[in-house]
Formats: sequence, structure tokens, C-alpha cells
Amino acid sequence: MSAEPLELAHRAVALATEAGAREAEATMAVSDTFNAEARAEQITKLQQSVGRSLTLRAFVDGRKATLATTDLSPEGMADLVERCVEAARSVQRDPLGGLPEPESVAAHDLHIFEPDVHARSEDEKLTDALSMEREMRAYDARIDNSNGSRVADAVTSVALVNSRGFEGSYTSSSVSLSASPVLRDGTEKRTAHYGASRRGYGAMPAASEIARIAARRAVEMCGARKPQTTILPIIFERDVAAVLLGDLFAACSGANVAIENSFLAGRVGERIGSDFVTIIDDGLLPAGMGSSPFDAEGVPTRKTVVFERGVLRSFLFDTYHARKLGAKSTGNASGGTVGPNNFYLRPGSGSLEDLVTRTPHGILVYDIIGFATEHVTGTWSRGASGFMVEDGQIAYPVDGFTIAGNLRDMLATLDDVAGDIVYESSIVSPSFRVAEMTVSGT
Amino acid sequence: MSDTQPETLPRSLIERLLAVALERGGEQAELFCEQRLSHALRLQEGRIHEAGVSMTRGVGIRVRVGDQQGYGYSDDLSEDSLERAARVAGKIARGSQSLRAVSVSERLVESMYVEGEWSDRVAMGRRVDLLLRADGAARRFDARVRAVNGSLVDEVQNVLIATSEGLLVRDRRPLVTLAVQVVAERNGERTQGYYGDGGRRGFEFYDRITPESIAGEAARIAVVNLEAVEAPTGELPVVVGPGGGGVLLHEAVGHGLESDFNRQGVSLYSGRVGERVASELVTIYDDGNLPGERGSVAVDDEGTPGQHKVLVERGVLRGYMQDALNAELMRTHSTGSGRRQSFRYLPQPRMTNTYMPAGDLQPDEVIKRVKRGFYAKSFSGGQVEISKGDFVFMVGEGYLIEDGRLTAPVKGATLIGNGPEIMTRVSAVGSDMKLANGSYSCGKGGQLVPVGVGLPTLLISSMTVGGSRVG
Repeated sequence: MSAEPLELAHRAVALATEAGAREAEATMAVSDTFNAEARAEQITKLQQSVGRSLTLRAFVDGRKATLATTDLSPEGMADLVERCVEAARSVQRDPLGGLPEPESVAAHDLHIFEPDVHARSEDEKLTDALSMEREMRAYDARIDNSNGSRVADAVTSVALVNSRGFEGSYTSSSVSLSASPVLRDGTEKRTAHYGASRRGYGAMPAASEIARIAARRAVEMCGARKPQTTILPIIFERDVAAVLLGDLFAACSGANVAIENSFLAGRVGERIGSDFVTIIDDGLLPAGMGSSPFDAEGVPTRKTVVFERGVLRSFLFDTYHARKLGAKSTGNASGGTVGPNNFYLRPGSGSLEDLVTRTPHGILVYDIIGFATEHVTGTWSRGASGFMVEDGQIAYPVDGFTIAGNLRDMLATLDDVAGDIVYESSIVSPSFRVAEMTVSGT
Repeated sequence: MSDTQPETLPRSLIERLLAVALERGGEQAELFCEQRLSHALRLQEGRIHEAGVSMTRGVGIRVRVGDQQGYGYSDDLSEDSLERAARVAGKIARGSQSLRAVSVSERLVESMYVEGEWSDRVAMGRRVDLLLRADGAARRFDARVRAVNGSLVDEVQNVLIATSEGLLVRDRRPLVTLAVQVVAERNGERTQGYYGDGGRRGFEFYDRITPESIAGEAARIAVVNLEAVEAPTGELPVVVGPGGGGVLLHEAVGHGLESDFNRQGVSLYSGRVGERVASELVTIYDDGNLPGERGSVAVDDEGTPGQHKVLVERGVLRGYMQDALNAELMRTHSTGSGRRQSFRYLPQPRMTNTYMPAGDLQPDEVIKRVKRGFYAKSFSGGQVEISKGDFVFMVGEGYLIEDGRLTAPVKGATLIGNGPEIMTRVSAVGSDMKLANGSYSCGKGGQLVPVGVGLPTLLISSMTVGGSRVG
């Protein structure tokens, strides 16, 4: 990393201290990003930029204010830091506010930077995007349009400095490819989407494979109908399962628990889930998309067991919310609140197909829309599409229905887990089954 | 502030950057320069918990060749860095080097925002006072109110837009939102209510729409939800309430009428202008010219003035919402619908304020037509898939309808339907059109922009209600 980001972070901390902050912490992020989109035989979007941003947290006698800026000119920074410190004076004093106790960060090789992201040529990336468009159309004649095929990568350097002597930096990379076919199903149009993300191009599935999976998903949904209103076991395919796990993360976040905006508040030590529910947050997972040596406050990341065989063991914390609830930070500070590192449900065994085989009757959900989660009560519902499962086999596609339940009941009746987890986001899950949910259709 | 600001870039530099962007043979180039200062204050546990200041400053440069777009941005305003961004954007054209001169001249635009006490003139004490008043009002509303969380976010965004066709416009856009979340509790059961309001205006708005009224509404919803029963399940007649019910139009029809999806042929409304797409009771407008509303734009993020657009008229599809690129490729004019989250993003055709004009029935007459059904007073959000038209809405506040009257409040319902299908089932429209409270934002392609919605009371003869109670 060049000296500049660390230097800018030091300068911001010094400016804040001069302006009257007792403590300050600054993070500089510099991100070199590439984005391309292809449609049919053309590259339709090509974007490339280096974006820089500074975030600062200033504490004035336990009063906290934050600054986020893309203006890094010396005059701009001086003026904005002053505004930030001034804004802190409107905040009520909070004795729990302030920087974390200094902790040393151990050296780990987390494999979060892959040099092939820099090395791969623009032409190769554009060829990948175009080949996904061709591959989808070749898969089935009814696929005659798309919502674009995309290739994106980024190399991001982060430097963090605080007034208690912390100084740290790291560089990470990410790559993602995705394909979105549009298929003609009689008079209707059907869309599907599939994508993959990794730390480098070397670990990515081939572009052609991503395109084929996306195309197959569109084809398989042809002729889908609305199921009858009933109560059934629901199999959540792994990407859909990850969305559900995201809601669970919110319920386990110390920031939500502290304001009682979580159905899990006050329940540590209680049995909530079935034996299949072991949930981990691991900031040190090799090549994990959410791995980093330290969190947004410079606290070393670690592995935390959140649920162990159904029993709620721990919430996840940044420094402030840990102090508030009499716990210790779990290294989950992110963007001024609590965020996931690599938050996942422990995989079981077998493939998704095996899980279907183990299900006499139910619905396999491949896609959901909406975001109706009430974190206070755990009430959960989504629009869904997927396949009816009969006698352990996929029978026919279904769409236009909702599934509803309560997160607490869903955890308690989670009764089978596949082994198909892929660590391609900071919240991931293997496919799993919930014993019964309400299906609302015709 | 530093001396060089994006909206005061010298004209000579703007012209040179546009010329550099076109060196490789691009057809059109555009500069979007932005400087946005926002303040945020958060209320928690009866006190001001945190303050935030945020500055978004930078320049985005776009080059178009047919339907191809190149884009580069820079937060560094040095000439070198800006020229680099212009060259990156220009690469999409892949031709050989040749420089052609570009000249721009400024056009003045009429503001669409309500003049007054804008964000940049407000003292911190004023913000603190509004939030503490909201907190007090929510707590006084009902003894069962357990927690109150609030936020006040305000900004002024300065933009300068210049194009290789010679256009140069500036716009100054205020935006303020006061939002309150209330948690109520009874016998260990907790529920929540959320409400917010604001717009493209100054803080004097809160003299009229007081923080007490906003917090009171959030508290009322939380307390109502304490009494709520499980949502019914299956196909039912649904009455959608005025104002916030407008999310229905936004999802069920609006997104499908954005021009990118229609030019690309991926929307179910592609190529259907002039066709009947809804019941003849359905008329839908998208209007960027409503003074002070959250979705309004004096000019959009491509420099085109905001407009009043007829999307659907008595059930017939009249037109799409156009940005510059799609309008040109479809041989029509931009409707002032090109919007973006910030200088780091390409513009997309987007909605502004989307609403349905009033019908002629009294709202209670609409409800009286339903023997057993569902009343959605407001939605907490929605999402649509624009090719097939399937959408969902999350109900914020809902009631059962029994024998033409609202009865028990209902919790946690999701409505699901298909846009074109639902629009043919609109069977009654009330006379009570109103614009919703100003707290809605719309996400598309990873970009969030503020929007407005509005609706009169509306009856949909049948729709799938997805609750957890079967039978």
C-alpha cells in the first residue's frame, strides 16, 4: 500500500484532536473498481475508477460524531473535521462511548488479496461478459434476451489510525460474475439470475458455467403455476437460505439487541433452534469474502459461536454495544454499527438434490422477493418461486405465492441441512429445510 | 470549504474534459459534478445519541456510443485526475485519437423546491429540539410505548451538469426527513410502528407537520399492532388506503414503464404504448414538478427539466419514463427521468412522484363494497420483477374488512400479485387522492433515490394475501 492512505488517516485524527476531540479514529478506503456489462453481442457498460473515502469517528467527552467524506483536499478535510467535532457537542454525553482498549492484531495470512485481479487484462474480462451472453442463448432457443451479463472486480486498501496509537492496513480483492437471462414462456417473459463471487479470478467458476446455471434456472421455471394455500415443509436453496440468515444476523446484532429490536433480546443461553442450528461468525476464514485482520474499530477479528446446536450462545458486538450489554467486542464493528464477518450456518451433508430426495412432500424455494421481516416479533414473509416436491422428487415449477412464518418457529423446526455451502459473501448458508410454513397461493 | 468545488469548475476546464472524453470517437459526453453536504442526528433512549456529517463530492464523466456507455469518476478535482476519468469514459468508443472542440453555455432552470430554512442554514440546536419533541410526544402517546428511536437527516446537493451538445445547468436541491420508530409492549409481546415525513424543502415544514404529529403516528401504529391478529391467507378483495398505498402503483406498474426495460424488450410493457393495460378506472401520472415533494427535480441528473407525464390514461398505456440515452435510441425525448444516486453512478430512467388522480366515490363507499376482505392502510415496502410483473408489498398497517367495515388490525401480511393482472382488477376508485408522507426511497440496480407516491382509496377485486393463518 502506498503511504498516502495512512498519511491521510493520521492527518484526520490530528485535525480532530486539534479541533477538541478527546479521541478520534480515521479510516481511509481506496478502491480501484472495474465494472462491465454485456448484452447480446455488445459491451453496453464499461466503468473504471479509483474511489477514495475517509470516515472519522470523533469523541468529545463521550459525545460521538462521525464524518464520511470523499472531499480529501486539505482545506475540505479541515473544515469538515471541524464541523464533525462541532456536531458532537449537540450529542448527549454517554460514558460508554469511546475507542476500544488497544489490542494487538496477530499476523494471519487470510488470502483476501489475489494478484490475478490486477493481472487479468480488460480484454479477457470483456470476453467473459460476452461469452456469458452467447452461452445463455445457446442453452435454449427461448432465451432471446437478457438483463445483462456482468463482470466486476475491485482491489480495496484500508488504512485505520486512532488516537490511542492503533495503526493498521490491509488490501483485499474481489471478483464477481453474473448472468441474467430473459426467456419467452408462451406470451410471458421469465427471468432468472445466477452469479458467483470470489477473492480472485483463479477461484472463480468458468463464465460459461455461470451462464449455463442461470439459463437452466430460467428454463426450469417454464410453465410455473400458483400452488394451493396450505402448510408445507419448505426447502430453502442456499442463496435463499442466505437471505434468511441475513435476517437472523440482524436479530443477533448487538446494535439491535441493545434497543430491543430483536426477537432474541434477553435469550442468551436459551434453546431457540433445533440441533441443526449451529451458527458461526468467523472473521478469519481463509479467503472468506468477509474476512479481515481487524474490524472497523481496529479490534482483531475472531471466530464466535452464535448458536450451538440450537442454543443461543452469544450476540455479535462492536465496542459500544458490548459495553452496553456487559460483553466484549467480537470484532464485528462495521460502518458505525455491527456487521457480519463470515456469518454462516454449519453445513450438513449431501447436495441439494439429496435434501430433495429426503423430502417426501414440500416446496423447494429458489427465489424470493420482498423484505417483510419484523425484527421485534420475528414475523417473516416473502413472495416466492420454486418447485413442488412430491415423493422426494421435483414435480413441477410453482410461482406467485408467499411463504410465511416466524423466525423463532423456523429455527425450532429447521430439520435438515445440506452440505452445499459456498463462502461467496459475508452471510452464507447451505440449503436447509423448515418443517412447516404457511404457503399462500390460490 | 476548499476553493475548487465541482459546481464551480471553470467553463474552460469543463469544455476541455468533454473534448477529451470524445477523443476516441464517442457520440456524446456528459459531466455530472456534485457536492452534497448532509447532516444526520440520531435519537435513542430519550437522548441525542449520535451526530453525523457527510460530504459527497466528485465528478462523473460519461461517454455514449449508440447503446454503449463508458463511465469514469473522480473525487480528486485536480485536472490530471479529471482528465484520466474522461479518458477512461472515452475508451468505450475504441477509435483513434482526434480532438474536437466543445463549447457549453449556461441555461437557467426554475427551482422545484420550496424556499426556506434549508439544511445549510439550520443550527444544530434546531435539529436537537425537533428530535426531543418527537421523543416526548411518542412517550406521552400511550403508557405501552417502550422505546423511541428517531432520525433527522438533511442535505443540500449542488450539481452542475454539462454535455457535449452545449448544455450547462446547475441545480441546488434541499432534502429533509424526520423519521420515528416506536416499539410498544404489552405482556411481553412487542410490536413496532414507523412513520416519517419531509421533502425537498426547509425545516419550516415541521412548523406545519410537527414532530409531535409524526411521532404520534408512529406510536399509534405500534399500539394498534399490539391488538393485531394473524393475517388471513389466500385470495381476497383488497382495499388499498390513500397516500402510502401509492407504493402499489410504483411497484405494480411504475418500474415496468421505465424506458431502459422497454427499449431492451425485457419489460412486459415493451412495445405496448396505445394498448389497454389496465381497468379503465386506472390513470397514472409521474410528476417531477410537484413543488417540495420528495421525488421532484427541477432538472434530472442529465440536465433535463422535470415533467408531468401521463403513463396510463383510463387504462391505456400512454408512454414511458425516459432518460436521455433510451429516449434517443427510441427516437423520442427525455421526460426528465434520468436520475442517479451520486457521481459514482451512471444515470438510469427512474420514477419521481408517481400517483393516481382522484375518482368519484366516497372512500367509505369503496370499503362498503367488500363483504370479507383486507384493508392495506399503508405499505412498509415493495418489490417487483419487471419481466413477468410479479410483485410483493409488505403491509405496514392493515385491517380485516367484515361486512363493509374495518375490524381487527392485522399483523405481518405480505400481498403478492401480478402487475397487469391486478391493474385489470381495479374496480373502484375513491375521491380522496393524497400524496404520501415524504419518506420513501426507491432502489434500482444498486442505486437509491428519493421518490414520492400517491393514491386515492382503491378496490382490487382479488389479490393474494400472504399471512400465516390458513382458513
